[in-house]
Amino acid sequence: MVSGVDLSVRLGSLALPYPTLMGSGCYGSGEEFAPFADLARIGAVVLKSVTRSPRLGNPTPRLVHTPSGMLNAIGLQNPGIDWYLANDVAKFARRPCAMIGSVAAFSVDDYAYVTERLAARPEIAAIELNISCPNVAHESETFACDPRLTGAVVRAARATTGKPLIAKLSPNVTDIASIAREAEAAGADALAVVNTVRGMAIDTATWKPRLGNTTGGLSGPAIRPIALLAVYEVAKAVAIPIVGQGGIETVGDAVEFFLAGASAVSIGTANFTDPTIPERIVDGLAAYLTERGLSSLRDIVGKVRD
Amino acid sequence: METLSTPARAYRATVASRRECAPGVVLLSLDAPELGRVTQPGQFVMVTPPGGERAAVALGVYDADAAGISLLFFVTGSRTSDIAKARAGEELALIGPLGNGFDLSGDPRDVGIVAGGVGIASVLLPAVALRRAGARVRLYYGARSSHHLVEADRFRDEGCELAIATDDGSAGARGRVTDLLCEDLPALLLACGPSPMLRAVGALANARGVRAQLSLEETFACGVGGCWGCVVPLARDSAQAPDFPPASAGGSDVVNARVCREGPVFWAHELRW
Repeated sequence: MVSGVDLSVRLGSLALPYPTLMGSGCYGSGEEFAPFADLARIGAVVLKSVTRSPRLGNPTPRLVHTPSGMLNAIGLQNPGIDWYLANDVAKFARRPCAMIGSVAAFSVDDYAYVTERLAARPEIAAIELNISCPNVAHESETFACDPRLTGAVVRAARATTGKPLIAKLSPNVTDIASIAREAEAAGADALAVVNTVRGMAIDTATWKPRLGNTTGGLSGPAIRPIALLAVYEVAKAVAIPIVGQGGIETVGDAVEFFLAGASAVSIGTANFTDPTIPERIVDGLAAYLTERGLSSLRDIVGKVRD
Repeated sequence: METLSTPARAYRATVASRRECAPGVVLLSLDAPELGRVTQPGQFVMVTPPGGERAAVALGVYDADAAGISLLFFVTGSRTSDIAKARAGEELALIGPLGNGFDLSGDPRDVGIVAGGVGIASVLLPAVALRRAGARVRLYYGARSSHHLVEADRFRDEGCELAIATDDGSAGARGRVTDLLCEDLPALLLACGPSPMLRAVGALANARGVRAQLSLEETFACGVGGCWGCVVPLARDSAQAPDFPPASAGGSDVVNARVCREGPVFWAHELRW
């Protein structure tokens, strides 16, 4: 509650006091931003994706700043699930907000394997299935580009845990609604809409790609209208909650996503502009609702007058 | 290098003064006493460009005292251009101080500082600290031309000995700053500048058995270790290496360390770039 306004949200069995998630890969494990942001005033941190085996990630440059956004190609650098469980996960218990694990893999079996092991830990409140990373050689994103594979990953992960599963969808598809329906039918509790938009940049002096990986994922305000349309289309196709994401930077941006059908929003790149943005969005949402005589965020979800 | 535990936090700092040192080179002094007191030599801040919608910019802290900090930077794009427009009395949002700076422990008596271009912005604080501790400090300062050679007098005033090189020979020797380093090397080198210069300093130091600390340049997004966008390969047995499984456990003995978090200053002999 913020001054009498209910901003809480449920993603399956996971109840969050605020509808703001910090996007996977943008917020480390939360500890990195703790000096600059009050983690007790955000909904949840979605952790950086973990894979079955350790990964060194892509060569540099991994980042390029672009107009109203940025390209990244990190390449899922992570220590692998064994090391992660042994050395990292216990620290998450000390965070004052929910911690959502993120799982990436290159096969249906590995999604299930990593999900089962990570979800078994009490520090992990829910699992996001990163089936849409555009920056790895094995075409992990293929999963989110194919309704059948999306369904297969969600079903396999679903069989391993009762904790909430969030499937993270790709914008780089022709018909996102059909993929969303498969994820819902396979047992996803919520959908994250959307991951980054594929893109590239070329250095005109050297004629070389400006990312070490050649291609990357575009994020930030540049992709906001793309993400908003995806949420709008997915909201018409499924009944499960949607975590809207893509360039959200102000309370007005967040309200657009709620009106389009998102139950929660995820903030990623905006934290690189100013890490106090998520708290300001929470305060701004309370004020926005109060000004309109509304007492709950749910009063505006999906209420776009189209 | 030990991890510094300085109290970083978010600030809204008022611009106390602004000076254009050369065309496109700006010195902003910010009223931020607490930040000035805790900033260590070689640390940086992330400054939000006024106007929004763009990522913060990493700027090395040029000077720091009980009144606040100053930032010396080159205008290289729209983000630095908008920060450079800030006038006295205006506020800038920033976070810091960030990163692990230069290790000046062990009472070094004879130190060489190599600065290339905008790299000069990160080496005043170590130069001042070393001079106040009574060390001999030789500054090897390279720039494109005499116009780009800013703040040299400030280092002279602190008692540093200067050797200068410019690409066009308009000041000092014509050529690379690393060409100045060939004889009579100090026992410890500190360097900040473009990557080719740092690689040259590192190679020279390693070949000559001299210890060198390099303050690396890489594109940042978060600046606090959250996004893993700014990495450099580092020996896993470095005290600065991030937590990662060894090769025997499916990992690697060379790991990608975050320039913003584990760095930006690394020992040359531990880099595997």
